[in-house]
Order: sequence, then C-alpha cells, then structure tokens
Amino acid sequence: MIELKGIYKWVNTGNNRTFLLKDINLSINEGEFLSIMGPSGSGKSTLLNVIGMLDEFNEGEYKFLSETVHNLKEKQRAALYKQYIGFVFQAYHLIDELTVYENIETPLIYQDIKSSERKAMVADILDRFNIVGKKDLFPTQLSGGQQQLVGIARALIASPKLLLADEPTGNLNSKQGEEIMNLFNQLNKDGVTIIQVTHSDKNAAYGSRIINLLDGRVEK
Amino acid sequence: MIKSYFKTAFRNLARNKIYSFINIAGLALGLACAMLIILYVKDEVSYDRFHTKADQIYRITMQGINKDGTKGKKEGNTGYLQGPRFSANIPEIKKFVRIQQGNENIKLGSEINSQEILYVDSSFFDVFSFPVISGDPHTCLQNPSSVVISEDEAKKHFGSTDAIGKIIMLKDDSVFVPHKVTAVTKRCPQNSSIKFDMLLPIKESKEDASNSENWFNIFLNTFVVLNPYANIKSVDMKMQQFYTADSKDAIVSLKKQFGDEVESWKSEYFLQPLLDMHLSTEMPAQNGLSNASNPMYSYILSGIALFVLLIACINFVNLTVARSVKRAKEIGIRKVVGGSRKQLIMQFLGESFFLCIIAFVLAVALVQLILPTFNHLSNKALALSYLFDVKLIAGYILLFILTALLAGFYPALVLSEYSPVKTLYSRFSISGKNYLQKSLVVLQFTLASFLIIATFTIYKQFNFLTTEKLGYDDSDIVTVGKGFKTHNEAWLFKQEVMKDPNIINVAPRNEGSWGTSAKLSNDSTIHFDYETIDESFLPTLKIPLVMGRNFSAAFLSDSASSVLVNESFAKKAGWDNPIGQTVNFWYNNNKTYTVIGVVKDYHYQSLSEKIGPQLFTMKPENPYGMVYIKIKPNSTASSLKTIQSTFKQLFPQSPYSYVFMNDKNFKSYEAEAKWKQIILFGAILTIFISCIGLFGLSVLSAEKRTKEIGIRKVLGASVNGVVAILSKDFLKLVCISLIIAIPTVWLAANKWLENYPYRISMSWWLFATGGILVIFIALITVSFQAIKAAMANPVKSLRTE
Repeated sequence: MIELKGIYKWVNTGNNRTFLLKDINLSINEGEFLSIMGPSGSGKSTLLNVIGMLDEFNEGEYKFLSETVHNLKEKQRAALYKQYIGFVFQAYHLIDELTVYENIETPLIYQDIKSSERKAMVADILDRFNIVGKKDLFPTQLSGGQQQLVGIARALIASPKLLLADEPTGNLNSKQGEEIMNLFNQLNKDGVTIIQVTHSDKNAAYGSRIINLLDGRVEK
Repeated sequence: MIKSYFKTAFRNLARNKIYSFINIAGLALGLACAMLIILYVKDEVSYDRFHTKADQIYRITMQGINKDGTKGKKEGNTGYLQGPRFSANIPEIKKFVRIQQGNENIKLGSEINSQEILYVDSSFFDVFSFPVISGDPHTCLQNPSSVVISEDEAKKHFGSTDAIGKIIMLKDDSVFVPHKVTAVTKRCPQNSSIKFDMLLPIKESKEDASNSENWFNIFLNTFVVLNPYANIKSVDMKMQQFYTADSKDAIVSLKKQFGDEVESWKSEYFLQPLLDMHLSTEMPAQNGLSNASNPMYSYILSGIALFVLLIACINFVNLTVARSVKRAKEIGIRKVVGGSRKQLIMQFLGESFFLCIIAFVLAVALVQLILPTFNHLSNKALALSYLFDVKLIAGYILLFILTALLAGFYPALVLSEYSPVKTLYSRFSISGKNYLQKSLVVLQFTLASFLIIATFTIYKQFNFLTTEKLGYDDSDIVTVGKGFKTHNEAWLFKQEVMKDPNIINVAPRNEGSWGTSAKLSNDSTIHFDYETIDESFLPTLKIPLVMGRNFSAAFLSDSASSVLVNESFAKKAGWDNPIGQTVNFWYNNNKTYTVIGVVKDYHYQSLSEKIGPQLFTMKPENPYGMVYIKIKPNSTASSLKTIQSTFKQLFPQSPYSYVFMNDKNFKSYEAEAKWKQIILFGAILTIFISCIGLFGLSVLSAEKRTKEIGIRKVLGASVNGVVAILSKDFLKLVCISLIIAIPTVWLAANKWLENYPYRISMSWWLFATGGILVIFIALITVSFQAIKAAMANPVKSLRTE
C-alpha cells in the first residue's frame, strides 16, 4: 500500500543542513498496524506527516496505492488523502466553534456529500462510538477521552483505508488510553490500515509491527 | 456547505464580541457615511435633469475680452437681444427663453406684500418641463396681463389649486393692475436651479427689442434649446460671427458717446450646458436661478466618506489577520480533514460578506436616522426613498461587494495559506515583522491625522469668516427696504422716525450693490463699487474716516460735487494725498467730483470677497433703496413699532418688512457654519473608527504577548515598564503617520485657503494641537489594554502556557 524509498527531509539553518528524515525505506501493506517509536525529535511525527501528505520531503520516492505521490500536483495529492487517509492527533484538534456532530460532519462537507447522506453517515458513527447523547455539545464541554473519540470518529467518517494517529493517547489517562487502543485494534481487524506514533511500549505492542526512529533514521 | 460556513461565521462573531463590534460598527459607520454622501452627490449631479430636453438646453454665456485682447471674466448673464437675435439667425437654435428676476408689490386682501417674480418668455414651458396642474402651458404666458402661479401660491390666495381665471392684483409702476391666472404649476422640484412661485410674461418694449446697444446691457439669463444633432462648437462660432456683425454699428455709436472705453465691453459668446450650471463656480446659477453649489463640498464629503470607509476596511483586514493566530488551528484542521484552499478562501470571504451584510443593514438604519440632521446641515431634502433608483441601488450593491471583497480578500488569502503541519504542532507564529499590518495602521492614522488637522483648518477658517470683525458695527441696526422716489422722501421718513428718542440714527443707502467706472485726472479708468448714501451713513455704522471729512449738511455742494472713497480706492488710484483729487464720470456729461474724505476699508461684502475700491456719493439722481436704522439697545419692540407705524403712514401702498443687520450678516455664513459641523463630525468619526481598530489590535497584541509579559514581570518589570513596552510599538506607528500627514495636509490646506481672500494663517500650533490630540487619543486607546495586561498576575499567564 505504501512504498517509501530513500526519503530525505532537511531544513537549512544558516550553513548547516539539519536532517529531519534520513534515507527512510519503508513499505507498509494493507491491513497492517504499524507503530513508530523513538525519542523526542527523532522524526516520528515528520514521517507520519510525510506519509499523510501534509508535509513534503526533499528527496526520495513515495508510492501510495500505486500512485507516485512525489509526482502529483497539490490538488491531486489533496484529492488522494481526502479519500483514503484519516488523521488522529494527540491534542484532538477539534474545531471549538462546531458541535460534536458538526465536527464529525466536516470532512463529508468537503467531499461534497449530500446532506441526507451525511446525516445518515454521522448518525451511524455516533451510534457506533456511543456518543449520540453528546452530539450537540461543543468540544470544550467534553473530557479528553471523549474528545479523542470524536477525533477518531471524524477521522473515520469518510471510511479511509489508512488511519494516521500521532500519539493518540498522549493526553489521556491510562484507562481512556486503553479504550482508544482497543478501538484501534477493532478497527484494524475491520480492515483499516493504521500507523501510529507512540512513546509507550505498551501501546506500541497493540500494533503488528514496530519501527524505531533515531535522528531521522530507521533503527535496525 | 454554506450552512456550515454560516454557522461557523455566526459563532465566531458571537464568541468574539469586541472584535465583532469593532468590525461591524466600523464598517456600518463607514458604509453609512458612504451612503449619505452618495445620496448627496447624486442629488448634486441630478440637478435640472428632470427636464425632458435637459441634454439640449444651454445657457448663453460670455467671456469679456479686455482691450489688450486677453480674456476677462466669464459671465452667465445676457440681455434682451441675445436670445431672440441668435435664435432668429442660427438654425440650430430651436427655441429660446429669457428669465429675469424681479419683485412686484402684491395685494392679498388689504395687505400689501413684496412678491418675488420670474419674468419669462411665453416659450418657458416649451423649453422647461415643469409639471402644470391646470391651464395650457403653451399659451398661458402670451397675454401680458396673465400670471402663472405655483400650487402653494394658489392655496395662499384662493385656498385651493383651482385658480384658473381668478385675479391677482400686482403693482405695475404706481397702480395695482389685475392679472388673470392662466396656469397653476406643481411645486418646483427640489433639485431645480429654476424655482418660482409666480411667473409673469417678460416686459420688453419695442424700443428695447430694436436697440442694438442692448447687446451690452446684461441682466437676465437666456436659455436655448438646440436641435439634438447640433455641434456646440459651430453654434458658438456662429453666435460669435453674428454678434460681431450685428453689434458693429452699435459700437460705433456708443464710442461717440463713451469713447474708446467701449472696446472693453466686447465679449465672446459660448454655450453652457444646463446640466453643468448647478456646480459651476465660474458661471454659477444666479440672478433668478438658485441653489448654486460649490463642487468643493462634494469633493470634501467624498473624501471623508472614502477615508472613513477605507479606515473601517483596514480595521477589518488588520484584525482578521491579527486574530488569525487564534484561528490557525481551525484552519489547519479544516485542511487536514480535506478542505481545499479554494474552499477555505470561500469560507473566509463568506464570513466577511456575512459581516458586511450585518454592517450594511445597520448602515441603512443609521442613514435613516441621521438623514434629517444631515439634510438640515447640508441644506438638502434627501430621502432614503431615493434608493428606489436602479442606478443608486446598483451603486450601493457595488459599494457593498467592493467593501466585502476589500476587507475579506486579503485575510482570506493569508489565512487559507497556513500550513496545517505548522499550525497544528504549535510551531506557528505570524512570520516576518508584520510590515503589512504596520503599514496599514500607518495609512489609517495618516488619513485620520490628515482629516483632523484639515478639520481644524476648515473649522478655524469658517470660524474666522463668521466671527471676524467686518469693520463696522452691525448691532442694533434695523434694515428696511423701500424704493424711495426722491431723496427728500427718504429724509422725510428719517425726520418722522427720529422723533422717537429710542431711534439714534437713520441712514439711507441705495439698494443692492452697484458698480461702475470713472476716469481719474491722469485719464486712467477705475472700476469700483458705487454707494449712494447721506451724511449719517458712516456714523450710523461706525465706519471711521482715515482722512478728510464726512459728507455734511453744512456743505450744500457735497451732494452735487463731492465724493468719499475707501482706502482701496485711493491705493488703486495711486494717490498719495487723495483729498482734493477728482473723479470724472465721463459718460455723465463729464461731471467731475472732488474727493473730500477717505473711508477706512470695511467688509461691505462677505469675507469671501476681497475689499475692492469703493466710492460714496450723495448724488440726488441715484435713488435710495433702503434705510439703516440704529436703535437704542433694549428698545427693540417699541422702536420697531415706531418704524412700522411711520412707514405705513407715509407709504401705505408699499410693502413693509425689516431685518436686523447682524442677523442678515450671520445668515450669509449659514452654509459655512453648517459645513463646519459636517466636517467636524466626519473627523470625529474617522478618529473613532481608527481608534477602535487600534484598540482591537492592542487587545490581540497583548494576548499574543501574555507569556512575554508574565516572564518580564517575574523578572521584576514594573507595571509602568510593561505598559511602555506594549504601547511603544503602536505609538511609533502613529508618529510615523503624523510625519507623513503633516506636510500633506499643510500643502492641501494652503491650497484650499487660497480660495479665500481673507484667511487664517497656517500656524504651527494648529499642527501641534492636531498631532498631540492624535497621539493622546491613540495612547489612551492602547494603554487601556496595556495596563490591563500589565496588571495581570504572571503566575496565571505562565501556568496556562
């Protein structure tokens, strides 16, 4: 599903070139549950963002579902990730001005899905995540765990093939964290490919494969 | 999707009350100003357009040619001959109508009043499209004893508009003559240069019509209708050719009488479009035409409106961009969940449109609210119902779209560009040094400072015009108009009135302003304003003499051979010692007068006119047309009674009316006084909108720097120190604005003041006061927020970080 070959990413500060990613070679198959680990600043989030097409890289090749991402135009790339990728963040990143319902609905609006269909889809996922009662609340009225549930619901609403999670449990207590990880496991079993960035060995263990990053390199 | 945008926009507005208030209030005020001024300007340019032939109607005008061939003053007036002779000989001219202003005494029951009249040709209604209620407009002015009246006048006389065939008594020379009402018209449109309550057929004798010397006797307005395809230039040329040929003999015979001076009476004829007349300063609508307007006011108003609207838009742009730090997260999320840049631009534009709609609705309400005051100040009768005009609505919609785009487009572009990776990982700060925001603040305050200092200047100049001493004492003087048949009649009135001990003095004078020319002893010609007075004129008005003596009853020769001149006259004549010099009225049997005194220059016209040479005479042939009556202070009621009863007793057939001279003088600056208020109001509005914008920015800046302020306080900074740090940046910008604004306004104000012969000098304190005021207001605005931020507990601000 994902094929990364010789990916480099760097920033120039004065005369120095600081490498964020160095020669990343990685292939991920459909249905995998990959955990990316490593200390702070090792490039985990950068790698996730490159895979999620939110960030660019300077050198290398990236194939996503047989599309060569590095050759795509901005618009085509956006269309690609809109359709296939969902994001979950450590800080949830919900829109404070929108209700739970509206937050979940937003991706569908950007995909020009009809209002009646949207209603059905959002109702379905609210039901599935057991948050129907919260649908008219604003994010600030929810606990962290609930907010993250909404974040995941939003990421899944458009049925993506790939779910990218950047320390999804980082801001949660261990019980809430466990619930989220169980949910990921379930999703993975249902066929969603998952890549998560995590600090915790315990959470990493939920995945089917673990890679370790250090200073932008994959540690063997 | 639109519903979702709308929802976010609405919630954003509701959550950020200060920000929304600043933007909406600013835009609403700006739009309201713009709307008002569009109404005003539209009314100004709509003058006289209601005539169906408006595009084909022209006024015959001319420009004097001096003896040396240079061109002289332009003149909107013509005489008896121009209309009929040009139209008879130039095929392009289809019709002509002459309009002459006049007054006649009118009898209403037993009361005798003075009635303003327009004397017009019978073609009046063929040229102009004034709506006629009853009567035949084409024939109603053919009979010399017919009269056409307005509906108001008809109601006044007959109680209804049903007045055809009824009789109105008008005084013709010495007896009242019946005139038959032949038509009743609707009230003249508000935006008409020609306004009348009563029309009479023009009185022109056969001798007048055939005397070619009348080419040079100009006192009325002549309008012509050209055929639609006429070439104006060629009509101008034909008029000139015909006039040159037709006036040749008259010039020869006039030369015999008046000498070479006649050469300077020649002129060049041309046409002025009717539609240009209202706003013409060279050839204004006057002498029977009214409401002439100076386009300067349109420019000043448009400038204010543009400034206010621009400043409101700048507020919008600055605040939206500054606040975007807070919205960066939302933008990032929207991008991550699939929002394209285009969709985000649409969202932000949508928000600015939404905000503009609210502001627009408020603005319409505001206009409705201010309109009565504005009408009063600008001397107009504007109404919002003017809005039901396709062009105007289109104009407003354009204004709305432009405002929304102007205010919304840049922020939309900036905001939609943010990279989600940066915004979502709190690595985000507005990059660069915010040059755009700073330049916009500078621009904003440059405009505001410009307007404030300009207002000071305009205010001071208008104040000067309304309060400056005119050089004479106009207090406790009653002016009564009366065409005295002889000087003795005036003196009789004077004697009778003076029997009342409360009446201090009575001074007759000619009516209106006269001008003529005469020869000096060195054979040069001098033009001057010509006053016919008696010996009590100067003492009554307390006008001092600088040399020689006043007229005196003791010198019988004074009325026959003496004159007084003012200082400007003496200066223009080049006299070192004016007393004893002579002035020769060569066209009047070479009569020579000796100067017996020099009068100190006083402002006999308004202060917007330069004091010219002035000559005073007691010549018995010149009629007196009015009297100035000086009364004792606090004797107004009884003195007025004496004056009225004496008048009624001596002249039962004449209309009596009086006016206090200081009231009249004050009235002549009414327009200036009103404009003073409008402009002051504009400046207050500008600085207000600028300041709420600055306030908004300082709020956001303080929020952005909460952490910095916390750290500084922990390290020992005092409240004052922090306030200084926060205020300094903004004050720097305001100071830069002043540096730009002051020279600009200095140039503009000087240019404007050149319009006035008597003007204030641009003193440094005008700029200093304006500058300090701007800085002071800005300082209060900024420091308010800065103090609040500086007082905050640092533990709190640092902990939440």
